[in-house]
Amino acid sequence: MSRDHGSAVHRSADGASTDSGGRPAGRLPVSDDVPPEAVPEPDIAAHHPRRPRPWRLVVAVVVVLLLLVASLLVGVYDITDGEFGAEMFWITRVPRTLALVLAGAAMATSGLVMQMLTQNRFVDATTSGTTEWAALGLLLTTLLAPAVGLVGRMVVSSVFAFVGAMAFLLILRRIVIRTTLVVPLIGIMLGAVVSAVTTFLAAQFNLLQMVSTWFMGSFTPVVRGNYEVLWIVAVVTVLVFISADRITVAGLGKDVATSVGVKYETVLIAGTALVAVAAGVTTVVVGFLPFLGLVVPNIVAMVRGDHVRSNLPWVCLGGIALVTVCDLIGRTIRMPFEIPVSMVLGLVGATVFVSLLLRQRRG
Amino acid sequence: MSIRHARPAAFAALTLGAALALSGCAAGDSGDDAESTSASTVTITDNHGEVEVPVNPEKVVALDNHVFETLSEWEIPLAAAPKGLMGDNWPEYTDDEAVGDVGTHREPDLEAVVAAQPDLIIGGYRFGDSYDDLVEQNPDAVVIEIAPREGEDAVAELKRETEILGQIFAHEDEAEQINAGLDESIAAAKEAYNGEDTVMGLLTSGGKIEFAAPVTGRAVGPVFPALDLVPALDREAEDTSHGDDISVEAIADANPDWIVVLDRDASFTEPEPGFVPAEELISGSEALKQTTAVKEGQVVYLDPSFYLTEDIQAYTHLFDQLQEAFSAA
Repeated sequence: MSRDHGSAVHRSADGASTDSGGRPAGRLPVSDDVPPEAVPEPDIAAHHPRRPRPWRLVVAVVVVLLLLVASLLVGVYDITDGEFGAEMFWITRVPRTLALVLAGAAMATSGLVMQMLTQNRFVDATTSGTTEWAALGLLLTTLLAPAVGLVGRMVVSSVFAFVGAMAFLLILRRIVIRTTLVVPLIGIMLGAVVSAVTTFLAAQFNLLQMVSTWFMGSFTPVVRGNYEVLWIVAVVTVLVFISADRITVAGLGKDVATSVGVKYETVLIAGTALVAVAAGVTTVVVGFLPFLGLVVPNIVAMVRGDHVRSNLPWVCLGGIALVTVCDLIGRTIRMPFEIPVSMVLGLVGATVFVSLLLRQRRG
Repeated sequence: MSIRHARPAAFAALTLGAALALSGCAAGDSGDDAESTSASTVTITDNHGEVEVPVNPEKVVALDNHVFETLSEWEIPLAAAPKGLMGDNWPEYTDDEAVGDVGTHREPDLEAVVAAQPDLIIGGYRFGDSYDDLVEQNPDAVVIEIAPREGEDAVAELKRETEILGQIFAHEDEAEQINAGLDESIAAAKEAYNGEDTVMGLLTSGGKIEFAAPVTGRAVGPVFPALDLVPALDREAEDTSHGDDISVEAIADANPDWIVVLDRDASFTEPEPGFVPAEELISGSEALKQTTAVKEGQVVYLDPSFYLTEDIQAYTHLFDQLQEAFSAA
């Protein structure tokens, strides 16, 4: 029902965010003294979605495809060399490229979802502590139920990620947010506490070394046979696309959502669950991909404004492009060795994050 | 020299005086019972310089993994040790409640060292960062670091360490035997190696493969110069202790005739949950099935405890293993 109410909803959002009267308890806390641009603001452009210019998207798709072709072609082994070269292509290059696509798209879109649900630009799985919870879940599974295998580990990680994200949302509800930056700070602090527990457990069981290897986001070990579970996050991405409008509406708060007929709590929980699955599965298969979900939606919003539904394909493509570029850099600068994608991403992500903060201050 | 740090000059003078007086006494004896008197000392050169160490010190705290095996063979009791780093390799130390637990280097309990009131602390290696603290907190103890130094010949360093232990614990003959054992193993392995086959050293951990560079790489590195092995990929290490991130493609491309692997995760008491054994990662890898090493079954897996030992005995065993493998090929 909410599908085609995009612009109407944005208008009501304006109303909601300027309404300083008693906020119902269900409303996500957005303090009244927050500067307007701090809330995922329905800016003017969003009121009147730009005239569709499909050729831009086509160009973007072509660029991403070219990046993916580069990803398929870059590597140490000569894939044109005889029969095994071709086999190697299918053993390592194709799975790696697919993994980049799946993880990049899922982390970027779930970052966007996170930002909608918390009404805060600086939130994603890594700045809300969600990935740290997933990591704790993964460690606990391997300690307590070593026999459960990959799928079991992913389920537990995702459940932990969900609990973590919910805890984050509940804390946000309970405190008065004076500035937007407090929100990611809370998330980062929560994450730090959780990861301290993980580190403590790992130290107790002499797993520190192993844990640090696990969570180091890297596509180096991705080969045929060990990445396929990542297809689960493709489902997540599709579900985000399908429920984009509902998530947008829920992001505007319980009142607004309810008034246009969206079941606020349901969407909140479903959205969080999607993020949790994406974070859980990616953490188990690839490790931490810092800032991916943060940087991409923000850049897209900077360029295109805040129309979630029409931004989604861009966020997806942006996620894929960023993670692929970082992986290509990591693969080539120290050939035949590699630099984990998380390191490159951390560098790029942190730079963008800081420049966003500066921009925000100046604004 | 360890003494220079925090020890008051007066105390140093006193120690020196006492040492002189006692060594004077000892010199008077024929030397037979000199070993049993804890008062006699020996001057050794540790990684910091010359140190005077009591011979057969009564209370010893050992923190350097390289010495546990030797001390265990010689039945030297320990007052405290980092039990978290010892696996189940030395139950006589780890299971003994009387032996204080220093924890691990990541979370060292240096108070356990102080509580043990040691005469001698063998620090260094993983505990290298704690050196200054150890010296400061234990003014009555001699602190030495004798672990293999970086940039030196690893085999010579291992032997040097054993030699020093022999001097301190009056087991010089045994120390010589241990050193001779290593030399023999190396000679035999060198003999068995055909001089042409290419070799690659790897580490595995958390389901990932890492590259251990010839010479400097953890565990396998020192084997290359010792046996004059031909490296399949002759690259220096960026991360000498944890290895460099390498894809299976790069290994397949280098196509080593032999692969020597340290499975880091296998080193702990029970095979850790969730870890992928090195065997599965390498011999079971689709991408590596075409390499000579995997095709011919020429993959040597280091003793699981190697990561926690890395001592001269472990290397002797590794060279024996290689000799056997090379001869069987």
